[in-house]
Amino acid sequence: MSNVWKMCGAPVLAAAATIAVTFWSGQAHAQAKPFDGVTLRVGTFGGPWRDDLVKFVQPKMEALGMKVEFVIGSPQDNLAKIIAARGREVPFDVVEILDAQVDQMADAGLLVPVEYNAIPNASQLDAWQRGANAVGNWTTQEVICYDKGKFAELGIPVPTTYKDLANDKLTGRVMYADITGGGGLANFAGIVYASGGDTNNVKPGLDTLKTFKGVKFWKAGGDVVAGFKAGDIYVAVAHTGWCLRAAKFAGANVATAHPKINATKTGVLKVGWLGAVKGTKNAAAAMAFMNAYLDEEFQVAFAKNSGVWPVNKKAMQRMRTEDPVFSAMNMLDPADVDRMLRVDYKGVNVNNWYDQWNRAVSR
Amino acid sequence: MTTNTTLPATPTRRALWRRVRLGAVAKYAWVTWAYLFLLAPMAVVLGSSLDGTTAYSGVVFPPQELTLKWYRQIPASHYEALGLSLALGLSVALGACLLGIPAALGVVRGRLPGKSLFLAFFRAPMQIPAVVSGVAFLQLYYVFGDATGLFLNATFVGLYLGHLFVATPYVIGTVVSVLQRFNLRLEEAALSMGASRWSTFRRVTLPTIMPGVHAGALYAFMVSFSDVPIAMFLTAPGFLTYPVELFFGIETDFNPSVLASASLVILFSLGLLLLVQRVIGLDAVVHSRG
Repeated sequence: MSNVWKMCGAPVLAAAATIAVTFWSGQAHAQAKPFDGVTLRVGTFGGPWRDDLVKFVQPKMEALGMKVEFVIGSPQDNLAKIIAARGREVPFDVVEILDAQVDQMADAGLLVPVEYNAIPNASQLDAWQRGANAVGNWTTQEVICYDKGKFAELGIPVPTTYKDLANDKLTGRVMYADITGGGGLANFAGIVYASGGDTNNVKPGLDTLKTFKGVKFWKAGGDVVAGFKAGDIYVAVAHTGWCLRAAKFAGANVATAHPKINATKTGVLKVGWLGAVKGTKNAAAAMAFMNAYLDEEFQVAFAKNSGVWPVNKKAMQRMRTEDPVFSAMNMLDPADVDRMLRVDYKGVNVNNWYDQWNRAVSR
Repeated sequence: MTTNTTLPATPTRRALWRRVRLGAVAKYAWVTWAYLFLLAPMAVVLGSSLDGTTAYSGVVFPPQELTLKWYRQIPASHYEALGLSLALGLSVALGACLLGIPAALGVVRGRLPGKSLFLAFFRAPMQIPAVVSGVAFLQLYYVFGDATGLFLNATFVGLYLGHLFVATPYVIGTVVSVLQRFNLRLEEAALSMGASRWSTFRRVTLPTIMPGVHAGALYAFMVSFSDVPIAMFLTAPGFLTYPVELFFGIETDFNPSVLASASLVILFSLGLLLLVQRVIGLDAVVHSRG
């Protein structure tokens, strides 16, 4: 018996020890996941935007133990869903918000304060991007994207203001952001301010817009790329991501010009925000998601795929070397970025803008 | 006395013949143009989905270099959404028939005061903007949930009911139009021969109104299958309909795999139409004869 024990005892003990250690480490591993059993619902955009989040952010969240579900829709639809659900279970825990809505949502008490202690990556943001109720998660630089070859061929100087697009040689070749599309409000505000108006007086911008002969309007950014590819347009007002796509994927010979707005402002900056919805039971998980969104690796990958510009300063630095074409289209100096127009939508009656646009532009 | 009837007739007949031929040519030209107008968008989608020169955004037609690579790049989410939309559309069509046929019978046969008011009431869902219906259903589900504890928002049933609301009037409309021209003597004959009311309905009424039912079911399916405004408020993670998936996908970006995905749907729809033609005859679907 003792021989048998001698023969089998050691391996049995070793196996038992291995099982015990494995079990213990498994337990310890399971206990290390802070969000076990949490399902986080994220209101975001659809298509490749959502696909990037699924590809890059979701695995990180799953590693923390949480399950992430993406609810796709436009920010306007998401806002309507949040308002409809007010006082009840929230339709999503964290939501992507555009700059035109972020103050409206915060003022209406639809967002919870951001816990910056739980978002270490927010230290890489500018101070103005660390809002009380929402954190900036991407930006776009809204520019004049022009065909260098066509401009040189027609003897048109490089545009510096929106008014340069009223050139007779550009008749039927200008594409502007439709107010209802992506970047529509920001670019409308840009032309309004550049024409001497402001958020309460948009008529000067509409008057300038009417001087562009045969202007076309884009709602989806793909229209800009397709327009350049087909040779239908020589210049478009859109964000640098679409200009980059026109260059990279449509073979267009394009460059960007940040339009002069006034004596102190050049270019227009649109900002995306992330906020946790009031009433969420998963506020801590929402903060963890925000942190992952601001992660340097994700910000670089997302910028390359989606064409938005990072907010994480380390990611911005990396973009200079990793994507020089895109970097060349954007203003990189923080001082220059500070001088870009960031529209303050607080108190703005956007519906009034739509009405005036429809009356003036649709005519 | 002589009469010459042949001399003036010859040029008149020629002129008439020329006019007839011109008319036929004009008719065929018009029909060809109409077909081109209807089919051109589909041809562009199908053609450009096969273009290999498009690296990214943009539509190239006619295709410069044939490829099937965009078909291989259709995201799995498109197939999942398509499956859901088909299941939803079919169940909505079935539900709309189950609701719509009795409603149409009641309106046409019932001794109800103010029948036209009822008909207008049944048509109302078609006149309400779909986006309003979507928000209204979302609010309704919250109110219903508050009262009963059963929240239908972000559930398949909730989405199904929303679509049923807008699809049922189509079945009512087509069945009512058939019933209004229905020869009641057919039913009277069956009843006088000893058939029960149920047997008369099943063996006489229903087969006669079937073209209207088919047409209504087809409309109901199409309304559900192509809806975006209602679905965007009532969908949830895990069940996104195909149009919503496509709509929000192209809003942020445009990849030719969307064209490939849309092409598959076009081909599927054409196949379905051919199948309907083979099985029940397309004429039966498009003509609601009583």
